[in-house]
Amino acid sequence: MAKTENDKTLSAMDWVKQALDYLGGACDEAPSGFPIALGNWAFWALWWAGLTVLIYVFSGQSSKFIYIDF
Amino acid sequence: MIFNSWDYYLLFLIPASICFRLAGPRLRPWVVFASGSLFFVYFSYTQFGGLVGVACLAIFLWECFVSRFYRARSWICWLGIVQTVLFLAVFKYRNFLSGLVWPIPSENPLFWRHAFLPLGISFFTFEFIHYAADRYNDRTEAGSAGEYLAFILFFPTMVAGPIKRYQDFLPKLRAVSREWVTDWQRGVTSILVGLVKKFAVADVLTAYTNHLNRADISQAHRWILPLWLLAYGIKIYADFSAYSDIAIGSARLFGIRVPENFDWPYLRTNIAEFWRHWHMSLTSWLIDYIYIPLGGSRAGTGRVYANILVTMLLSGIWHGAGMNFLVWGLLHGVMLVVRRAWRQLRPLGPEPPAPATVFGSWLLTFVCVNLAWAFFCMDVDTAIFFFRRLIIG
Repeated sequence: MAKTENDKTLSAMDWVKQALDYLGGACDEAPSGFPIALGNWAFWALWWAGLTVLIYVFSGQSSKFIYIDF
Repeated sequence: MIFNSWDYYLLFLIPASICFRLAGPRLRPWVVFASGSLFFVYFSYTQFGGLVGVACLAIFLWECFVSRFYRARSWICWLGIVQTVLFLAVFKYRNFLSGLVWPIPSENPLFWRHAFLPLGISFFTFEFIHYAADRYNDRTEAGSAGEYLAFILFFPTMVAGPIKRYQDFLPKLRAVSREWVTDWQRGVTSILVGLVKKFAVADVLTAYTNHLNRADISQAHRWILPLWLLAYGIKIYADFSAYSDIAIGSARLFGIRVPENFDWPYLRTNIAEFWRHWHMSLTSWLIDYIYIPLGGSRAGTGRVYANILVTMLLSGIWHGAGMNFLVWGLLHGVMLVVRRAWRQLRPLGPEPPAPATVFGSWLLTFVCVNLAWAFFCMDVDTAIFFFRRLIIG
């Protein structure tokens, strides 16, 4: 059965969600067609470096986590 | 301030996860117990109640002692549940409940001036009750004392979840993943992404959400009020999902996978779906230990609605000891009831809904959830004042 435009939009959204989950460490398997494997250490080193820079730039505001007992 | 402190990583997470990996199977539960106890003592002493907070470690030891007597259909399981609820009532709700009778603290004979919360009490309560209830219903094996102590004192999830289940945890404790490299790669990624969400999103939005007070609301332009509330909606998601990411990533360093807590909740197109994807470990706990024992969805329509409302009211008051949290829970209960009634009135057809319908459902859910946050982040009077300004001006 041919996919409708709606189905294509939804599967594209699912792909993006899966890719973000993969980049965020929430899942171990990349969505099909995603170019970065778990073993690509050069990419992950760069990714971690970028995240670390962001943490460094924005850290120091020291607010507590909301959900820890009020 | 635990997961965003160096102490957490250098004193606890890295040494404990390495020791755990290197330890033999018999020693592993005791590594978790020792590191969890030290974690509890250190952060209680420095942040949660001082020496009295440290003494609350006795709650875990007592719970472990009592749990050794749990048997299927035994009244001791009920005793365990009652004492756990009493711990929570005394520490978290004493001033709130007695304040309903004696609103002025100086006239309240039960008022606890130096009240504090034992580290993680709202969350370890769930795990204690889960274990007692499942032992009562013979849904889980007892495990050894060491294994149970490891379950309740596993520090990555001790403070704010995700809420674990003993049946899930025990096999992972006994047969730890041997894929060090993958576990650490994924775990470190989760932790870093969590910290970015916390520092670069949640904390940045604090500048806007700090305005959600009566003085600022009374002076602000009307159009900015929904933006502040939206900022809060994004902040609480970024904040708590960041926390969960760090907890899950930390557990992964031990080679233990704990349940996911968030799965894109703001993209959901109805309130029931939202709750299935927001704080998922809490939702499933509420369903299993409150909603289903009340009768769940098998009763008549009115009873099902009552079950939903009671469950969400309890969820609300669990989030905080205040009337605003009760109202917040009630609002979500009402939304779930309305959604259920609507679905009974207009069942889904065989055809998938049109994109405009999907978009409309998403928008409605998103707006309702975000408006309800007003009662989460402000007291009832301020929240009502907020809506009066928003609607009337």
